[in-house]
Amino acid sequence: MIPEGDLLRSRVLTALAPALSAVLERRLDGYALVASRDGLLGSDSERGVVTFEDGVPVLAYHSRTDRGGPQALDDIGAAPYRFDLYALDPDALELPHRNEDLRVGPGTVAERLAGDPALADRTRERAGTLDRDPDDGLEAFLDDEAAIEGIKRSAREEATEKADAWGIEEAIEER
Amino acid sequence: MVEAFAVASGKGGTGKTTSTVALGMALADRYDVTIVDADTGMANLLFHAGLEDVETTLHDVMTAGDVPVEAATYDRFGMSVVPCGTSLAGFEDADPERLRGAVADLAAGADVLLLDSPATLGSKSAVLPIVLSDRVIVVLNPTVPAVSDGLKVQEYALSYGSDIAGTIFNRTRGDAESVTEKADRYFEGPTLATVPESDAVQAARSDGTPLLKHAPDSPAAAAFRRAAGALSVADGDSEAVAERFRTAVIPDPP
Repeated sequence: MIPEGDLLRSRVLTALAPALSAVLERRLDGYALVASRDGLLGSDSERGVVTFEDGVPVLAYHSRTDRGGPQALDDIGAAPYRFDLYALDPDALELPHRNEDLRVGPGTVAERLAGDPALADRTRERAGTLDRDPDDGLEAFLDDEAAIEGIKRSAREEATEKADAWGIEEAIEER
Repeated sequence: MVEAFAVASGKGGTGKTTSTVALGMALADRYDVTIVDADTGMANLLFHAGLEDVETTLHDVMTAGDVPVEAATYDRFGMSVVPCGTSLAGFEDADPERLRGAVADLAAGADVLLLDSPATLGSKSAVLPIVLSDRVIVVLNPTVPAVSDGLKVQEYALSYGSDIAGTIFNRTRGDAESVTEKADRYFEGPTLATVPESDAVQAARSDGTPLLKHAPDSPAAAAFRRAAGALSVADGDSEAVAERFRTAVIPDPP
């Protein structure tokens, strides 16, 4: 159903929040195969799959129980997890993502599998800003000079604040 | 001579790695080119260059400490390719700051260094390639999130003292001219190329072969060659660049 992507990470994790947070931060298009403790020693069929669009979970499915949506997340079980993360062209996900039965809410994975309400909120926030038909609106966006100047200004402020927080001002001044 | 470029985008999936490999191959006609997977957290250069089975990668250089970067450097497609591994152990133990030393060593032997950078501005190690490069090549797609994140990358780079070499508008469909012209007003540096969406790109990746080898006559490959042709590489002092990477003092936050 989902074509094979490029493997980015294959890890055993005791907590999923950092991995999900990294996916969100990088706005990854792709999917993760998640197997719980029992599945670590079991067969490939004991795994859940969660897909991501722009870093936001879209659908979940479990191969053993053949259930989709939030139920599939319950079927994955408890930590530790084997977490295999793959990148995929967003076009390849378009068709699977039309299946409404497998869908999960943007924050559901962070809540149920990672137990991280703050991450769930951040994910919902991102989902709310997703441009579902990205080709539309780009010209209008580019015509809004004031908005773009706003983005640039706040990015510069953020860059300066972060340089301070990361302690890299010195490296920058030396340039 | 050497000039270090970070190939960057704020969003994943824009074709950053495809662009890095294609630019590298095209520039290799004129220069000694080294491409480095500087996205040590989500490496994927090895898949694009058919190196997924190699034993030594940048992860080993960044963990053990006694593995020289030469051991993780592979001659492929007319250039030197430094892939990063995807293993759990490699990622857990890797010290991102050792990247500086490795890149400094590489700078000494190359004309052009292309750093395939993380698609995020969320951490100190993620912005390191942007901070340390001479210039940044921003990879965009014709979508609002990609352009908006590309603007952020540009402003970070400028704030951190790096220049913008130009933008690559990747994966365009149909006539993209009016959009690229409008976007061009907001970005420093020229639009190096507009690269049309192409099945050849996906086919090349599945094959583990760079686009310029897999489908050299495709419009996408031609566009990347135009981008490389539009890049004038500065005649930087290799030792000075190497020294900048080696000695950049980037302490941990308190």
